[in-house]
Amino acid sequence: MTAPPVRQLSHTPGEDPAKRRRERWAIGIVAVLVAVLTYFEAHLAAVGGMVAFSSNIVIFALINLNVIFVVLLIFLVTRNVFKILLDRRRNLLGAKLRSRLVLIFICFSLIPTMLLFIAATNITTTSIKSWIGGRVGQALTGAIEIARERLEEEALVLSPAADSAAEGLSAAVDPASFPRVLESVRSLAPPGTALLFFEKDAEVARDGEVPPAVRAEVLTRIKSMKGDGDGKGTLIGDGFAAAWRRVPGGVIVVAVRTLPPAEATRIREIAKAYDEYHQVRLLDDPIRASYVGILILITLLIVFSASWMGIYLARQITVPVQLLAEGTEEVARGNLDVSLDYQSSDEFGTLVASFNRMTADLKAMKGNLEETNASLTRTYDELRRRTQFIETILDSISTGVIVIDRHGRIAMINKVAERLLRIRTDGVVGRMYREVLREEHYEAIRSLYREAGEAAGGQVERQVELDVGEKRIAFRVSLTALRDDAGEYMGLVAAFDDLSQTMRLQRVLAWREVARRIAHDIRNPLTPIQLSTERMQRKYAAAHAEDPVFAECTQAILSEVNTLKNLVDEFTRFARMPVPRLEDGDLPMEIRAVVETYRTSHPGIRWEFLQEGPARVWFDPFQIRRAVTNLLDNAAAALGGRGGVTVTCTHDEVAGKVRIDVADDGPGIPPGDRDRLFEPYFSRREGGTGLGLAIVSTIASDHGGTVRMRDNTPRGTVFEMEFPARPPARGKMGSTAPVVDDGRRGI
Amino acid sequence: MTAVRVLIAFFTLSLLGLLPGSSLAGPPVPRISEVSGTIHGGEARVHFTLQNAFTPEMVEAMKSGIEITFKTTVEVERVYRNWFNRPMGQVQYTRSVRYDALSRVYRLHRDDGDELLPDILAALDRMTRFEVVVPVSGDAEKGKSYRARVRARLDKVGLSEPLRSIFFSSLWDVETDWARGNLKTP
Repeated sequence: MTAPPVRQLSHTPGEDPAKRRRERWAIGIVAVLVAVLTYFEAHLAAVGGMVAFSSNIVIFALINLNVIFVVLLIFLVTRNVFKILLDRRRNLLGAKLRSRLVLIFICFSLIPTMLLFIAATNITTTSIKSWIGGRVGQALTGAIEIARERLEEEALVLSPAADSAAEGLSAAVDPASFPRVLESVRSLAPPGTALLFFEKDAEVARDGEVPPAVRAEVLTRIKSMKGDGDGKGTLIGDGFAAAWRRVPGGVIVVAVRTLPPAEATRIREIAKAYDEYHQVRLLDDPIRASYVGILILITLLIVFSASWMGIYLARQITVPVQLLAEGTEEVARGNLDVSLDYQSSDEFGTLVASFNRMTADLKAMKGNLEETNASLTRTYDELRRRTQFIETILDSISTGVIVIDRHGRIAMINKVAERLLRIRTDGVVGRMYREVLREEHYEAIRSLYREAGEAAGGQVERQVELDVGEKRIAFRVSLTALRDDAGEYMGLVAAFDDLSQTMRLQRVLAWREVARRIAHDIRNPLTPIQLSTERMQRKYAAAHAEDPVFAECTQAILSEVNTLKNLVDEFTRFARMPVPRLEDGDLPMEIRAVVETYRTSHPGIRWEFLQEGPARVWFDPFQIRRAVTNLLDNAAAALGGRGGVTVTCTHDEVAGKVRIDVADDGPGIPPGDRDRLFEPYFSRREGGTGLGLAIVSTIASDHGGTVRMRDNTPRGTVFEMEFPARPPARGKMGSTAPVVDDGRRGI
Repeated sequence: MTAVRVLIAFFTLSLLGLLPGSSLAGPPVPRISEVSGTIHGGEARVHFTLQNAFTPEMVEAMKSGIEITFKTTVEVERVYRNWFNRPMGQVQYTRSVRYDALSRVYRLHRDDGDELLPDILAALDRMTRFEVVVPVSGDAEKGKSYRARVRARLDKVGLSEPLRSIFFSSLWDVETDWARGNLKTP
């Protein structure tokens, strides 16, 4: 016998786990791509500068790709949401919980996200408006003006030096005098002032240190103002101020002073902030639109990411829950060959593993239980068989048995005990025997139990007389206290034997012995008495012809002798009841013949004969005729010449029994005489020997049957004689059962 | 599925809204005009004018200190009547302008050097009128037909650093078609 295959339960039926895994990966990858692309696009300007949109195919492709990915993300998430809703509508296991979790996730993400979106939009718009529309612009404009004035003032401070240099340069004819000119200029100029000399858009000389960027810027300025003004002016720029003068001959002298680095940086920052302010002011609407767009994008990403996360987490929760529900359902149906396929390191994984372990343990325990149950069943069957055997034995024996446990409850009682003690066995088992038995019976058992406790072996046997119904019956009660191997009291067994029949048989046997001896002792002298009396009549009749006394006396002797002979014959017949010779005959015909005889001899009585069932029965015709004769004789005597007698012969084929009822409507039998009716020599009739019913009882008993008396309705008496229609097998015959042979049973 | 469609449409429109160039582009079509010049020896000197390239928003942006850069491509080719033209030379020329709020001048940056311009008109003039020298292969032959092809496009819009994180692309999309003009031989 092979073990049933273990049923593995994995995710929702109809769902392909690999497909779901691929979908999850797709969503994750798309989400990551969207995030990466968005980040890359946001920082593209820093990477490649502000390039024209249409001229950069990469940007175009990236944006479109991003749009596609975002749409794909929305599609996948929306598809999952719709699928969950569809599952919920189809009432799939776990769909409700999943949809509820997703809805909660969406709500928990959507509400704060939307609030954040609205707040962020308002804050952004308000901030931008307040920044560009407030005093920031005025402050920045003022700051740039101050910076510019600072540089202008610096340039004006340089003007004397520039003038001096121009004048000195134009007055000096000899180039060797230049150093003196520069010397005087330096004395006029503030510290850090340098002089630059340009001719034909090129720097030709320099006095002092000037950063190259400043020199290049000054040159650019010089070039740009070609032919301008009256030949002098000032220059301000990024970190420097200058005053320039045109010298006749085409040379331009520039007195330059660079600002300290810290001051130059501050002015540079002011200029930068000023530019940014104006740019923001110019691009107010696009900036707001961009921020709103970015917020919308982020909001949607959050919402859909939260939705997907909700779906994912819901699945993480509902899949094991669903598996557990299905597994529990299987277990509830009795299928313990179920194993849940779910691997996880979280609590659900532990739960599923515990479930699998539990089902395995249950299966093992179930196997053990089944084995134990089979063993118990075998034991129970054996016990039941033995109990039935014991009950059968107890029911088949003629002894009434009551088993009482240690608590005083009746553990077992057989039908004989029910009949003997007149108690109903239905519902008796398990009840206290004190409640079931009559007080007298209970006290008898208690008394015997006390004796048994004192007796060796815990057993006692007594003959007691108990009132049962209206009778007082003699019982032989055997009571045994049960003890286990350790000597612990387990209960007691009370056995009741009805001694009435035994005593009656003993009395019958005794009477038979008496009858036999009487017959023997009386019969022997009767014949000499009769012969002597007859001889005396023959010899002395003539001599005493005139004396009637002799004739009367001898005649009386002969008559009494004859009566004694008849009596002795009765005794002899009773003492020498033959063993019945059973033969298959017509029982009703035999009975009817007897009835017809009595109908003739007792014309004043209504004789009626009824027959029910088949006629063929195994019986001894001689003895049955005798028994019926005795019963009819009693009936006729009881009626006194008037009344009615109904004889019924009933053959019950199903029960296999024959019953002969003799019912009369006479005065009936007093209750006090009923117990002794079937005892020999008990008779209330004058002249009766008291053997008639004793013979009937013996014949019935010899036929394996019984004879009972009951009251007739409305008056009179009914004698019922019942015996088997067929003789039982020889092995089953009782000691008093008839046998089918020619033998005679002696006393 | 209706909800999905609505979401897709909304999202697409939202993304399109992020592209300011599409919403700020003006109706005038930028173009190159007055392409002319001469070719002599190893070079061609090409003159042309960029028209409608600066929208009012771009002018305002220039005033606000946004650096605007145009890149022009000039090609010189020998023109054959019944055959494919033969390229002789090409040059890409970049020119940008930015307002310096401190010194109140427009700084024009060219490949050959910077120039400071006092006002927006001068700056626009310099940004739209070009004279480009294109080195060519071979000598031009007198009596033959030569032609210059010119195209210009907005190359960069130099926003300040914080705004670059908001506008990842150009605010405007300016690009001309190819314009052609014959070159004279001496």
